[in-house]
Amino acid sequence: MSTIMIVEDDPKIVQLLKAQLEKYGYDAAEVTQFDRVLEDFTERNPDLVLLDVNLPKYDGFYWCRQIRSVSTCPILFISARDSKMDQVMALENGADDYITKPFDYDVVLAKIGSQLRRAYGMYASPNKERKIEVAGLALYPERLELGYQEQKVELSKKEALLLELLLSQSPRVVSRERLLEKLWDEQFVDENTLNVYITRMRAKLKELNLDGVIETVRGAGYRLKVTWGDDDAPLHS
Amino acid sequence: MRLFIRDQLWFLLLFVFQLTLLLLIFWLDGYWNPWVVAYAGFLCLFFAAVYLLIRYLTHRLIYQRLSTPVDALEEVMQPLGNAPLARALDESYQRHYRLYSEQLHRYEQKQREHNTFIQQWVHQMKTPLSVIQLLLQDQDDSQSDSVREELDRLKRGLETVLYLSRLDRFDRDFVIEPVSLRSLVQQVLSENKRLFIRNEVYPELRVDAQWLVASDEKWLSFVLNQLITNAVRYSAGKSRKVSFVAYRRGTSVALEVIDYGIGIPKQDLQRVFQPYFTGENGRKYTESTGMGLYLVREICSRLDHAVELESEPGKGTIVRILFTTEIPTLQ
Repeated sequence: MSTIMIVEDDPKIVQLLKAQLEKYGYDAAEVTQFDRVLEDFTERNPDLVLLDVNLPKYDGFYWCRQIRSVSTCPILFISARDSKMDQVMALENGADDYITKPFDYDVVLAKIGSQLRRAYGMYASPNKERKIEVAGLALYPERLELGYQEQKVELSKKEALLLELLLSQSPRVVSRERLLEKLWDEQFVDENTLNVYITRMRAKLKELNLDGVIETVRGAGYRLKVTWGDDDAPLHS
Repeated sequence: MRLFIRDQLWFLLLFVFQLTLLLLIFWLDGYWNPWVVAYAGFLCLFFAAVYLLIRYLTHRLIYQRLSTPVDALEEVMQPLGNAPLARALDESYQRHYRLYSEQLHRYEQKQREHNTFIQQWVHQMKTPLSVIQLLLQDQDDSQSDSVREELDRLKRGLETVLYLSRLDRFDRDFVIEPVSLRSLVQQVLSENKRLFIRNEVYPELRVDAQWLVASDEKWLSFVLNQLITNAVRYSAGKSRKVSFVAYRRGTSVALEVIDYGIGIPKQDLQRVFQPYFTGENGRKYTESTGMGLYLVREICSRLDHAVELESEPGKGTIVRILFTTEIPTLQ
């Protein structure tokens, strides 16, 4: 299990980041005394450091240099300062990457994953393969597969993304906006394309003998409804 | 010269009056020898002319200065000559200048402090924004959607403040390097995806990957952000498309942001780049601060990009940025 040290003086951000990191199987350590960051570092010996720039006493650049004098572990800056100069400064002081506030969990997690991979050759998610399951219908996002009762269908990347959202929110409604946002990667997707994806997903579910699973909620969006079996308690893992 | 004559007008009148008085006394006295009279008149005229000449030559700089407008403060500080009046003026100018520059300095200092404060404050505000954003990320209902929407607005507002206050020290905060227009536009579009989706407007990208321009990525992406916000806002409910097009124009590369929205009324077209100008559209859409296009023009002029704007009410608006130097693609 990789240990990640969070050096950030806003307690709420620390708490949220910590919870999220732990959810993804990392061990998160926070720093509470900002005048002895280096001591904490040597004590915990983390695999990666998340470092804020604006800190009480000394700034993040200072601590970055201090850590660099004893370790080559990946250091990621998280800061509200987004000028080019700050980023250059961070990199020159030994940082590996720079994330600007406000940020999304996705970005932080992806960058942590890639840094760990690069530094230690370990593979992104410290978890086993992810599996999202609702009443026996299981999605494997990494494998792009959807399985139900020994049967499996293959999904496209975007279908997997959409199903992940629908499954994890089930039985709540997911708005069209949210689905579009998820789809919108490098290519810009309009409502018609979303309709096409929904139709395709329904067809795939039908292959698994599941009909009417994706329910259209007028004016709100879509909902994944458990229409099969008797176990309708949603399971997440 | 005109000022000199006007200045000495009373002297000239007095002189003419004195001269006639002198001649009158000669004449009334009955002592009328034309040669002596002419001689006396000549002497008076001669000395008066010499006086005026010397006066003009020693105070020439003063008259010149007073009758031509100055462009720079430094010009005012050029010495005016050695005459007592010139020296007194010099001293007085210098005193004024000192007082003035002290005051200016104080204001600059204050302005700088204010800017630093604003920047720090914006950064401080970003932390609570992050917290709210993180808290919302696992929420998916219409209420958190609308909080997210407001969050986006706050973020946009803060960015504008930040960039406005940074404009002052622009020269210390930019790096010109090759920027790929396509990937920059893509990146900015994806930052704004919620804005597009919410307004049911979709971007159309016609920018080839080959277009590299010399610019600063950070500032240019701020400029694009402003243009996108405008384009989407004024398209909402009218058109579902905003186009991004890049092409070569002469020696430069043009990037157009085209919307097919409400357009800008003719009487406002001249003034859209002025600070705080919101115009008719601004009154219809409450969010306008009138700073967007002003900042666009300011930033572009500092980055050496030209900006053009064409608009027809009801048809839409084209904002075009012209990049002067295209960097040849390295092979």
